[in-house]
Amino acid sequence: MESELDRLRKKVENFPSASLYNRLAELARDAGSIDEAEEVCRRCMREFPRNGHSYVILAAIEAERGKREDALKLLRSAVERDPRSVSGYLMLGTLLLQDKDYIKALGYLKQAAAIKPNDAQVTARIAEIERIQAAIAAATPAVATAAAAASASGEIKTPMGGEPLVPFAGPMTTAIKAAALSTSGSRLAALDALCGETGVRGALVADWHGRVVVAKNMEAGQDELLAALSSEIAKSSTACQAALGSDRLTTWALLAGAGQVLSFQRDKAFSVVVLADPGVRPAMLELRARQTLIDLGTA
Amino acid sequence: MNDVLDQLNRVRGVGGSLLVSNEGLVMASALRSGIDENQIAASLGTLLEGATKIAQVFQLGKIAAFNAGSDQGGMVLVSTGPAFLAIIVDPSANLALLQLETKPFVERITQRLTLKT
Repeated sequence: MESELDRLRKKVENFPSASLYNRLAELARDAGSIDEAEEVCRRCMREFPRNGHSYVILAAIEAERGKREDALKLLRSAVERDPRSVSGYLMLGTLLLQDKDYIKALGYLKQAAAIKPNDAQVTARIAEIERIQAAIAAATPAVATAAAAASASGEIKTPMGGEPLVPFAGPMTTAIKAAALSTSGSRLAALDALCGETGVRGALVADWHGRVVVAKNMEAGQDELLAALSSEIAKSSTACQAALGSDRLTTWALLAGAGQVLSFQRDKAFSVVVLADPGVRPAMLELRARQTLIDLGTA
Repeated sequence: MNDVLDQLNRVRGVGGSLLVSNEGLVMASALRSGIDENQIAASLGTLLEGATKIAQVFQLGKIAAFNAGSDQGGMVLVSTGPAFLAIIVDPSANLALLQLETKPFVERITQRLTLKT
């Protein structure tokens, strides 16, 4: 008796279409005929270059072969050809999640969710990333305590040889922050000039991972939130810059109706984040921010 | 919408433009060949999500614009109502002048999008 695979092979020969090619490729792959599946995908790509699904099927084959880079390349081609390819975004998100590149993975998965909001797999992957991010955030205070203890024992010195520059390994708890500031009044003073500028509501210095080094005029808890979100924005902006061929980011500014947030950074290390009134000129703040980094011994 | 973006790209200092929804989905694109618009859109989606959270927490109101830059150029995001217009900026561009020259395009796009929705 003729199998569905055989019937589809004949049908494709007589009435070739992108959907038939894709169905045949999937059936061949499921039947273990990987080479045939690959050949069918490549024929579909040649004859129907605008169809993105054959790229997704071939990407799955390459991923199973362990060729992850090839798979990612094919998936990027898939979503470029078909910007509404949920399976393309989902697989990109899944592969990047396996690579622990949570930000990019979440970006692609959210694109899939925007097209198909109730897709169970997409929702599950997004939930998985959010769980991982929450676990990382919950686990880091313990490391921060260890870092603060190491700092207190004088094991770590700044490049300038002055007081220790704490390598904050997690969000600072209020206790750690108080301990750190009590031994480093001058660190807080580094933000004095910046916060003294007209229109500046508050400012902080954070590391690349979004952990607060020092903050001034910020409400309790808000400094950590601002530092974390600023870090996320800086990483996304850097990814944009990278796609445009630039390898670094020096400043970013968020301008809104009732205020603005400006960030000045140096070499993916530390950044100064300023919360200011609308209309404050960034040029003056940038000078002060750079001086803050110098005073802290990070520049 | 691509016709407006093509005209916008003729403004001195503009190296390309892209219209993305608030969720980071590409609505129209006029980027140089070789630039991965989906990679940019995915990053912009995450970026806009973070920016929106900051605006909410610190009660900054509606986001009007977002600029990111380095000495090798940068990107300006301008709100056009239900979407954001991303303008790729050349390193030599005068940002103040660019803002003035691109304003009519932002208004045209906002008008078109508002009429559609």
